[in-house]
Amino acid sequence: MKYRVDPQLCVGHGRCWTVANTVYDADDEGFNNSKGELITVEAGLEDTARRGARSCPEGAIEIFEG
Amino acid sequence: MTEQQFGRDMFADFDIDDPRFNEHFTDVLDAFVSKCPVARSNVGAGYYVINRYEDVRRAGQDWQTFSSAKGFQPNRPDGVPYLYPEESDPPYHDEWRRVLNPFFGPRAVAEFEDQIRADANELIDGFIDKGSCDFVADFAAELPGRAFFKNLVHVPVEDLPMLLQAMDNGIYGPVEERAESFAKAFGYLGEHLAKRRDNPGPGDLLDVIAAGVDKDGEICPWEDRVSIITDLTLGGIATTTYVMSGAIHHLATHPADRKALAADPSLLPNAIEEFARVFPPVVALGRSVTRDVEVAGTQFKEGDFVLLNYASASRDPDAVENPTELDIRREGVVHTAFGVGVHRCIGSHLARLELRVVLEEVLRRMPEFEVAPGQEPKYETGVLRTMTTLPLVFSTDAAK
Repeated sequence: MKYRVDPQLCVGHGRCWTVANTVYDADDEGFNNSKGELITVEAGLEDTARRGARSCPEGAIEIFEG
Repeated sequence: MTEQQFGRDMFADFDIDDPRFNEHFTDVLDAFVSKCPVARSNVGAGYYVINRYEDVRRAGQDWQTFSSAKGFQPNRPDGVPYLYPEESDPPYHDEWRRVLNPFFGPRAVAEFEDQIRADANELIDGFIDKGSCDFVADFAAELPGRAFFKNLVHVPVEDLPMLLQAMDNGIYGPVEERAESFAKAFGYLGEHLAKRRDNPGPGDLLDVIAAGVDKDGEICPWEDRVSIITDLTLGGIATTTYVMSGAIHHLATHPADRKALAADPSLLPNAIEEFARVFPPVVALGRSVTRDVEVAGTQFKEGDFVLLNYASASRDPDAVENPTELDIRREGVVHTAFGVGVHRCIGSHLARLELRVVLEEVLRRMPEFEVAPGQEPKYETGVLRTMTTLPLVFSTDAAK
C-alpha cells in the first residue's frame, strides 16, 4: 500500500498525524511533511493509514491499495 | 414546513441572528443537512447557506470562486475595516499565513502548555472552595484570552474584559452597533502594536506583524497590520470558550463519559475532536461568489453572498456515522469545526492544546460535577456561537 498527500489540499489541520502517528508525520507548522511524494506504508499499518486518510477534512490523502 | 417546528421558515427565509436559530440550533442544523442543501435568507441584501459536508468542502477549497475578500459576515456593517488574513484571498492571504503560521504550529504552541496549565489552576483556585461556579464567566470566557494574551501578543490581562466585550458586541450585538464595537478593538490593538513598532522586540509574533508583508510589490499599509492582530485576537479570545463549555456541560450530564476521561486522559485528544464537532464556535463564515456557479442544484450568480455552514457540515451523515450522537470514542472524527481550505483556523493547534490541558485539570481537581439544580446553560448564536452561562456544583472534598 502507498499513499500520497496532495500538497495543494493539505492546509495543516494535523488530523492525519494525530490519528495515525505511526504512518504520518508533521512539519513544524503542522502540515503533513511528505511533500507530495508517493510513500510506501509499512506492512501491518494499512488500517492505520486508511484511518488517518479518512480523518482528513480536506480529503487530501489518497491511498493506493496493493 | 420548518415554520411549525421552529416558528420560522428556516429553509427559504433563514436569519442566522434569529434567536429561534439559537434556541433550536442542532435541530435546525440537522434539518438543513437532511432536507435543504442550500438555504436562502432574505435579510438585508440576502444570502445563501451551503449546508452539506461535500459542498462546504468544495466551496471552501475553491477560493477563486468563493472569495473571502468581501468579508465573512452577511450584510457586513459599513465602516468596519477588513479583518486579515481571514477577509482576504491568496496571494495576499498566503503572504501573511507564511509568516504567521510558524507561531501557531503544534511544536510552537507546545511551549505554552505550562503557562496554560498554571492559568487553568489559578482560575479553578478562584472557586474550588465554594463548591459552585459559573463555568463560563469564571473559567471558559477567561482562559482562552489569557492563553492568547500571555503567550502570543503580550496584551495586559486586565484589558481582556474590555476587548471581549467589544468583540462580543461586534459579532452578536445589534447590527448598527457592530462597526463601533470593532473600532474600539482596532483602536486599542493598534496602539498596542504601535508601541512594538517603535521599540522592536525579540522577533516574536508581534514583531512579525508590526514589520508587515508584501502587498502588490510594496510593504502593506499599517492598517493591515493592525487588522492582523485584531483578527488573531478575535479568533483567540472569542471561540474556544464554546468548545470548552460545551464539553464540560456534556460531562456534567453524562457521568459515564466524565468518569472514563478522568480515569484515562489518553482518551482526551479524540474526545476533543468530537467536542469540536458537536460544539462548533464558528457556525458559518461567508464568501462572495466571483462567477456564476451551481451548488447542489442552486444557481449562484457573481456577487451573491453565501455562508459555508461548518456547523451543519460536521453533522452530515455522509461524513460522520450517527452524527447526532456524541461519542467520545468515535474513530477518526471528521469535522469542519476549524474550517476547510486555505483559511483553516490558524489557532487550531493552540485550541486543541488549551482544551486538553483544561479538561485534564478540571477532571483532576473536580472530578465530580453537575449542573446546578434547576439551572441550565444559555447560548448566543450568530456566525459564531457561544455559551453565556453554565452554573455548576461540585463536591469540595475532591482533590484540591
